Amino acid sequence: MTRTTELLRRDDGVVEVPGDPAVEERIAVREFQGSDAIELLGCAFGAFCLTWLVYERLTPLSGGLGFFVSWYALFLAAVWFVVRDRLGPLEARDRLARVVVASVALGLLIPLGLIVGYTFARGFHALRPQFFVQDQSRVGPLSPATEGGGSAGIVGSLEMVGLATLMSVPLGILTAVFLNEIGGRLARPVRMIVDAMSAIPSIVAGLFIYAAFILALHQRQTGFAAALSLAVLMLPTVTRTAEVVLRLVPGGLREASLALGGTEWSTVRRVVLPTARTGLLTAVILGVARVIGETAPLILTALGNTSLNANPLKGNQDALPLMIYRLIRFPQTASIERAWTGALVLLGIVLVLFIVARLLGGRGPGHIGRIKRYRLARKGLA
Amino acid sequence: MTSSETIDLVEDRALDPVGLGSGLTARQVSAWFGEHKVLDRVTLAMPPNQVTALIGPSGCGKSTFLRILNRMHELVPGATLSGTVAINDIDIYRSGLLVTDVRRRIGMVFQKPNPFPAMSVAENVLSGLKLSRHRSRRHDPADLVERCLRRAGLWNEVKQRLGTPGGALSGGQQQRLCIARALAVQPEILLMDEPCSALDPTSTRRIEETIAELREQVTIVIVTHNMQQAQRVSQYCAFFLAEENAPGRIVEQGPTDKIFSAPDDPRTFDYVSGQFG
Ligand SMILES: Nc1ncnc2c1ncn2[C@@H]1O[C@H](COP(=O)(O)OP(=O)(O)OP(=O)(O)O)[C@@H](O)[C@H]1O
Ligand SMILES: [Mg+2]
Repeated sequence: MTRTTELLRRDDGVVEVPGDPAVEERIAVREFQGSDAIELLGCAFGAFCLTWLVYERLTPLSGGLGFFVSWYALFLAAVWFVVRDRLGPLEARDRLARVVVASVALGLLIPLGLIVGYTFARGFHALRPQFFVQDQSRVGPLSPATEGGGSAGIVGSLEMVGLATLMSVPLGILTAVFLNEIGGRLARPVRMIVDAMSAIPSIVAGLFIYAAFILALHQRQTGFAAALSLAVLMLPTVTRTAEVVLRLVPGGLREASLALGGTEWSTVRRVVLPTARTGLLTAVILGVARVIGETAPLILTALGNTSLNANPLKGNQDALPLMIYRLIRFPQTASIERAWTGALVLLGIVLVLFIVARLLGGRGPGHIGRIKRYRLARKGLA
Repeated sequence: MTSSETIDLVEDRALDPVGLGSGLTARQVSAWFGEHKVLDRVTLAMPPNQVTALIGPSGCGKSTFLRILNRMHELVPGATLSGTVAINDIDIYRSGLLVTDVRRRIGMVFQKPNPFPAMSVAENVLSGLKLSRHRSRRHDPADLVERCLRRAGLWNEVKQRLGTPGGALSGGQQQRLCIARALAVQPEILLMDEPCSALDPTSTRRIEETIAELREQVTIVIVTHNMQQAQRVSQYCAFFLAEENAPGRIVEQGPTDKIFSAPDDPRTFDYVSGQFG
């Protein structure tokens, strides 16, 4: 018997684990550890110093972009050498790939951060609570930026996008259901048309509604007409995303449903769509994201309005992008500032909408929400 | 059997629900996937209230045959078939029976457990009633859920968490949930395609017990690769074989005892005694 087993085995044969079993230490299987971070930082710093030496002391090179590119290349080389030295060439290649992928992803965040940050910087100081309740009807060209507000645009944008969503989401999801569950010979042309639709320039969508709805049917420019043109733009995005999402629903579930005596429609309604709920929500979000900042079609269909008009069926309506477009072209700084505030509010609205959508239905299909659980419990099923 | 006898059968069933169940007969069934023929004139009677086991090596067409029995074969694009399949002498392909009714009366349990992930355990059990719009008003849903889960041997494990999603169960529990789900629509015939292939011995035994109990009310057809299981649960047995580049056929069929103790065909003997290929 070795020493360790003696330690572990008591006289009565019970095996005892040394140490306090109440505080088990978990094994850290995380691959990226503190030392790795230090290593990366060291490489970055070393590469920076070397680049600085080359640029500022040894050669007559100059220029921000060249400096940055050289620094990055040297950084990668340093990472490769350091990791190869420690863990071998295989691990080095793996680490190098990981660093490249991660830095590209981070690099993508830079423009996003710049856009959001710049909008914030330009728009924030003129943002007052009244921006959400007042409109621009009493705002003259020389009044300060803090006067008036964007309520006309906020209400208009929400109504137009809401109406467009109401129109295009059911249509898009039904089309996706057709493409995916029924298919047949018609599926291919339908898919082609949807693809072609997604390439329509937004101004053309506006023109189409202008010609086919406003002129042909003797309508006026209203929020509803604008919503129609936004729906045209939203439809292909929603359809194609929903189709991809529905395709991910395992075929075994459809078979199970049909084998229980389900009809095709009840299979779609009770099995396929609920299983794909989260993904369908993504489809809706992408659709909304596609149109909420659209300006061009609204120029033709909604026209814009400086005073609040909450009725999308009658009279011209404003929208935040329209308001921004209108104000930013004035020479007065107050007007331009107001436009930036509008842009900031638009970003905020998008953010809030997405968060709300995720909270409402963003959990995976294996999650049963509180409301449903309550309903089940009342029937004695939970 | 003439049609009057069929009616008698149906009435018998109505008078005595635990009496004679429904039988299934397949005559001269062939099947193709596109131009590829995978079954060649299979004739098999699956008598009421018996367990029929289908055995045979992989790829010989057992699953295909089983799926033909409840009209699932036609869901595969390009899949075709010929021959007749009759439930109590009513042809399920030609008599104008609704395909949804056929599938409701002939339930199926798949090889891979496939509970609906968006539904809770209880909803999974009741899903068949909702999907087929065949609500039986006599049963209280909670009661039905309990009865089906008990028969599938799952009740004690899940009674505390009927509200959790069906996908949150273990593989074996999921399979028993699928069996409970199939039982809830009260099928006359139950087709099981290797129902225990993903299960541990305990769950397997429980399902075999369930099969033995169900036999009183339901006609069961089971595909299995486990010879002991075929011997334990079935009364009748059919041996499928697809010889090289030939579609699958039934080489031999008969009472299970005979197939396993004194088969007529040497190939059957080789297969059941484990000396195959
Ligand atoms: N969807 C399909 N498309 C084309 N051929 C198929 C399809 N499904 C099965 N086949 C073919 O039909 C034949 C029979 O398949 P089947 O699934 O019925 O075999 P099996 O006896 O159930 O085998 P296993 O015991 O492995 O489940 C095989 O040759 C298979 O390649
Ligand atoms: Mg099979």
